[in-house]
Amino acid sequence: MQRAIERRGIPTVSITVARDITEQVRPPRAVFVPFMMGHHFGVPFHRELQRRIILAALDRLTAAEQTGDLYPLPITWAQARREGIAIEQAMGLRGGAAEALG
Amino acid sequence: MMEPSNTREQLRPGLWVTINERYPGSMITRSETVPLAALRQPLAAARLTFVSSAGVQPKGSLPFDVVHPVGDYSFRRVPSNSKPEDLEIHQLKYPTVDAHRDLNVIFPIERLQELAAEGVIGGLTPHLFSFIGYNMDPERLEQTLAEEIADAVVAEGADAALLCPA
Repeated sequence: MQRAIERRGIPTVSITVARDITEQVRPPRAVFVPFMMGHHFGVPFHRELQRRIILAALDRLTAAEQTGDLYPLPITWAQARREGIAIEQAMGLRGGAAEALG
Repeated sequence: MMEPSNTREQLRPGLWVTINERYPGSMITRSETVPLAALRQPLAAARLTFVSSAGVQPKGSLPFDVVHPVGDYSFRRVPSNSKPEDLEIHQLKYPTVDAHRDLNVIFPIERLQELAAEGVIGGLTPHLFSFIGYNMDPERLEQTLAEEIADAVVAEGADAALLCPA
């Protein structure tokens, strides 16, 4: 898919949570986020993180120098999840620590 | 903070062989690469499109066939001014609990709209593009669906494309 678009002269970048698959198919540019499937842009209601991931990907459109570029975003799933839980608690969507562990 | 691994080691060694033995040809490997296309204008002037395999589609559009044994090779156009409540998900292959609470975790349409409104990007194409992954015939996907979506991306005047293989 990504190759077909790039071949038409349109620069492309993808967000991947599956580094091994991306390394096999070698798309032109990709950003790896070490997140759970279904969470390519982070966790619910964490707007800053969702935005940061998009911007990191768009940055590769100009920063990538070679095709097959794979940039790992320096973040962990645990950190994203902790931040998401704190945001939900502040929004009143979540209770205290016991529920947060669920 | 822990830094992610920078090794090039496979996380699941042997996976490709294993799956290809059971479903021949379902997992592709590419050694050839596509030359990079250049962004022809600053990001703030570029029209961005978004292509997703998350099965997100406008309510009322034909649901993706999520139980077909070989897959669904069609795609949907999602108006880029859609609100999350205008959209629904038809895909079973990834956890959607959080996506149902905040669609932006897999289809960040509100964040993209904000970046366009703020002028960080020049704008969005009139439609974004959606299909479902886990199709079992990658050659067919490459020869039909990928080409059709790429043509549609060009037709909508995209200057750059963000893709999200769900």
